[in-house]
Amino acid sequence: MTQTNRLNTGGRIDRSQPVTFQFNGQSYQGYRGDTLASALLANGVDVVGRSFKYSRPRGIVAAGAEEPNAVFQLGATEATQVPNVRATQQDIFDGLVAQPTSGWPNLNFDFMGTFSKVFGRMLPPGFYYKTFMFPQAAWETYEKYIRKAAGLGRSPRVKDADTYDHMNQHTDVLIVGAGPTGLAAALSAARAGARVILADEQAEMGGSLLATRDQLDGQAAADWVKATLDELAGYDHVQLLPRSTVNGYHDHNFLTIHQRRTDHLADKAPDNISRQRLHRVRAKWVLLATGAHERPLVYGNNDVPGCMVASAVSTYINQYAVAPGRRLVLMTSNDYAYRTAFDWQDAGREVVAIVDSRHDVSGRYQEEARRRGIKLLLGQGVIEARGNKRVDGAVVAQLDPTGDKVVGGGRVLDCDTIATSGGWSPALHLSCHTGSRPVWDDEVIGFVPGKTVQQQLVAGAVAGTFTLNECLKEGAQKGAEAAALAGFPSQAVKTPSTEHWPEAKPMALFCVPHKKRNSRAPKQFVDFQTDVTAAAIELATREGFESIEHVKRYTAMGFGTDQGKLGNINGMAIAAKSMNKTIPETGTTIFRPNYTPVTFGAIAGRHCRDLFDPMRYSAMHEWHVKQGAEFEDVGQWKRPWYFPKPGETMQQALDRECLATRESVGILDASTLGKIDIQGKDAREFLGRVYTNAWAKLPVGKCRYGLMCHEDGMVFDDGVTSCMGENHFVMTTTTGGAAGVLEWLEFYHQTEWPEMEVYMNTVTDHWATMTIAGPNARKLLSELTDDINLDRDSFKFMDWRQGTVAGVPARVFRISFTGELSYEINVQANYGLHVWEKLFEHGAKYNLTPYGTETMHILRAEKGFIIAGQDTDGSVHPYDLGMSWAVKEDKPYSFIGKRGMKREDCVRDYRKQLVGLKTKDPSIVLPEGAQAVDDPNHPIPVPMLGHITSSYYSANLGRSIALGVVKGGHDRMGETVYYPLTDGRVVEAEICSTIFLDPKGERQNV
Amino acid sequence: MSEVINKTVDEATQVAIMDQCPTADVPARSPLAHQDQSSKVAPQNPGVFLWEDALKTHLVLRGDANNADFRQGIEAATGLDLPEALQSTQSDDWALGWIAPDEWLLTGPGDQAFAMETTLRKHLSGHYAVINVSGGQTLVRLAGPEARSVLMKSCPYDVHDRNFPIGKIVNTVLAKSQATIRRLGENDWELVVRRSFADYIWRWLMDASGEYGLHLGQPDAATAARQSNPSRANPVEG
Repeated sequence: MTQTNRLNTGGRIDRSQPVTFQFNGQSYQGYRGDTLASALLANGVDVVGRSFKYSRPRGIVAAGAEEPNAVFQLGATEATQVPNVRATQQDIFDGLVAQPTSGWPNLNFDFMGTFSKVFGRMLPPGFYYKTFMFPQAAWETYEKYIRKAAGLGRSPRVKDADTYDHMNQHTDVLIVGAGPTGLAAALSAARAGARVILADEQAEMGGSLLATRDQLDGQAAADWVKATLDELAGYDHVQLLPRSTVNGYHDHNFLTIHQRRTDHLADKAPDNISRQRLHRVRAKWVLLATGAHERPLVYGNNDVPGCMVASAVSTYINQYAVAPGRRLVLMTSNDYAYRTAFDWQDAGREVVAIVDSRHDVSGRYQEEARRRGIKLLLGQGVIEARGNKRVDGAVVAQLDPTGDKVVGGGRVLDCDTIATSGGWSPALHLSCHTGSRPVWDDEVIGFVPGKTVQQQLVAGAVAGTFTLNECLKEGAQKGAEAAALAGFPSQAVKTPSTEHWPEAKPMALFCVPHKKRNSRAPKQFVDFQTDVTAAAIELATREGFESIEHVKRYTAMGFGTDQGKLGNINGMAIAAKSMNKTIPETGTTIFRPNYTPVTFGAIAGRHCRDLFDPMRYSAMHEWHVKQGAEFEDVGQWKRPWYFPKPGETMQQALDRECLATRESVGILDASTLGKIDIQGKDAREFLGRVYTNAWAKLPVGKCRYGLMCHEDGMVFDDGVTSCMGENHFVMTTTTGGAAGVLEWLEFYHQTEWPEMEVYMNTVTDHWATMTIAGPNARKLLSELTDDINLDRDSFKFMDWRQGTVAGVPARVFRISFTGELSYEINVQANYGLHVWEKLFEHGAKYNLTPYGTETMHILRAEKGFIIAGQDTDGSVHPYDLGMSWAVKEDKPYSFIGKRGMKREDCVRDYRKQLVGLKTKDPSIVLPEGAQAVDDPNHPIPVPMLGHITSSYYSANLGRSIALGVVKGGHDRMGETVYYPLTDGRVVEAEICSTIFLDPKGERQNV
Repeated sequence: MSEVINKTVDEATQVAIMDQCPTADVPARSPLAHQDQSSKVAPQNPGVFLWEDALKTHLVLRGDANNADFRQGIEAATGLDLPEALQSTQSDDWALGWIAPDEWLLTGPGDQAFAMETTLRKHLSGHYAVINVSGGQTLVRLAGPEARSVLMKSCPYDVHDRNFPIGKIVNTVLAKSQATIRRLGENDWELVVRRSFADYIWRWLMDASGEYGLHLGQPDAATAARQSNPSRANPVEG
């Protein structure tokens, strides 16, 4: 295929570098410097998609982020699929493969063409609204087909071949947009010495200056762009980010920039390079120089390919050397758009007519049109485009002076392109993100940013300043202002200027009337992506949806991936007119992040796969891995869950681990338990206030179990705390609760009791902790220490001793979470693996068996020891747990939770209380969470008594055991409750003591 | 109390103290000992050097900076000035960094933990705490012309020259974990990381360094000299 619309000269493309790419299965050629859109237009590709609702052929209408139709699926392989790529922002490269996303099943085979009349009726305005309301179940079915037909892209079905990352940035001034305003601003701020980030969404910085034929101080505008960029690039404190869309403006001047690092180079990024990067920017001051989007006029059949926005036509001609047609009709309500006709003519193409909706207008632009011999039709409008897959004519008619109705009969002008301009809408999206409401400006004929709510300035077209000279000046001035506000006093740089042609007053025209009323006229599209027409908006207001936000939701206007950049203002104007209100009275919808679609990959960055979340390892982790342990996530820790031998099932492994521990000796890596070092003369008193039990008399060398409650009296953590010295304690916490407990202690120390002399520090990671438990624990330990007297009367249960274990200084705590004779050996973590391995060297003869968290759970449940967070859930106080022995009511100073657990609700009868449960059939292991009822045959709703909190098969007892809460359970020992399960079974169980094994605690006192 | 316990309590503070290093020949395993810490293929012109400065002494000091006795005691014991907020001080062997308004981290030779703790306790009085955390954390070193870029990819704190001069120390977020970051030189950074998070942070840093050319290990003297004056990278990528 040849590039039929390519001009021989001009443009910023490199004709010496042809590029071959694929679109819709066909191969095309463009040049380096082309966007996908400009290359398709160069090749005369008219139809790039089909519309959402009516399946009408659609073509490229714009040249920037506002493009609604040329939104493609990119990717040569399944792993490199990218949805929602705007062809106007995608450079071409050799091997690029693009598919239209709309137009299912095929662009040119008009599947829904005939069907659409029927289908269209099924999708009236309000379709979404009505569908969401009822019937809900049908939505899933609709959605599948709607997505497919509507042209929404899809994610890859296989693992993404690329990576994405984040970069945290800080800057004095962030300038958004590198058009004339942004460039001038950057110069001012940079020369002042401020740190500057200049971000622009297009491949090349310069904005409108890349597509203008205006000269700056007698030189090509592009020369000034180059000189400016060269200067900026030379500053260490300036960062230039092209292909980088500032997509979100969040609180506290935090902005997210989506940079496409390699999308312009190849289908897949080079190794080690992320394809896209999300810059997370903290800016002292933000200057929005985001420019404006030209508004197309709304008229009948305005979606036929060949209908374009005027400035886009100029951009394609001047920047990309593509004239996207032969015969142009230009319709405008302002002078500036005349330039498109001049550009078109200078490209050697025919301008059929300039149709200007204004009746009395004469000035420099009209003179120039006449000088060029261009037919000028004043007071007229294009009321309808003719053609199917390409414009073949424009119906032009006389309008009344206000543009409200057609007053003269239409005639058809032969043409293939209709360019329109209804003026410019400031691109104030980012300002809206901050919560700043836009305000209507009659001079601008558009909304401009309202009162700013962050450290933000606006300059140039986004502020309603449209002439090039003024934009440059304002940019320079605001750039200096931003720098000064950020602490870099400065002056505006001197900016170049161009010859300015005075412009006549533009007309506020949005929808060109048709001879027929809108509901009968050919469809006048307002929002191309969602197929919203002028008639649909009028219908919405007739049906009573008067708020613009309701009109939006009723019609789906602005719901597309383009967020209605082209159509929203026209839609609001149409709604206002149909309600006989002004636009400011009607108001505007606002925009939310993101400005353009961002890939999920860029949002996730490197926080995925094995870097998704930290995996915390103990000092013995390598050993566990070598032994083939299965791991369980506890908080962020990877804890061994169980250690299966080859061929063992999980239950077999657990049975073996449980039996070996009770019969001989087992070992647990307990390093993950939180450990908090507490020093200071008030340490003991502090403990008394945060724990429910007494600490005043715990002697040095002793350990004690404690319960910790929040103010409401509910248990939130527990653990053993040991007295290391008169003013020194080491507290242990649950694995998952460690950070929270330390924070809790600090919170109380810093806010309630700052006078207490106590310092708390985490030593969780410093000590490697290994627990040996079982009748042979003492024998094993005695082989590895010669300086600790392990005699049962010297080193008693709940004592700790310092000594040497396997040659390493150690603190050994004789505490037990299994009910067995048990020693917890703590050594500096760098020596943990050594001691662990030595224990195994000596432990072989005792069948030393490593066990994981699951066996730990079973063994402690056999003894009725709770796990905070499993057997408690924030609604359980110590008395509910049957642990009144751990509450010391008469401490001199109160303790946290004391008052809470005396509340009326906490002391009433029939609270849910922790009990043991034995199923009648000992082989049934109740599922945790199963609900207890008294009478399973009770009609629904069945009164529920409480749930199972822990449930296991105990190999030691040869039966299942469970812990659970039951209303009034402590007074119901021996009674039966029922557990109806989700599979229909009802399991009968007897309420019993929580202690299933060794109720007198003899095993740990040997 | 048994005799053993009494011997291990600091008399003045009634706090247990303990030489936690074995006297016998026992191998120590640093938190990153399991990671392969040398590049199989060293890149031509590495942008980043990454290595573990393993098995050092890490002591947390708590006290009141406004208390002249505490300040002088620290200075007498360590030979280092007690640093102001976000600052660090350094001698040949020891570095003292500000962590929080009442907290500092002292790092130094690995075999000196107990000796230094004892010295500190000799010079300090009143309400203070010394906590040995040598087993609980390690030092990760990041150097090279792109080390700062790696930090920017990893950490939300501003590591620009203007905000992070040499000697500054900050306790902050690193990826989804945390680190104490200290700038030792133009292109030379030290990260204090928790033992249990060290593997995650190491893998994160290796990943973030990939695009710049990562050399696992210290730069040799010649490389260091070459790297100290890097040519400025083109700010416009691609």
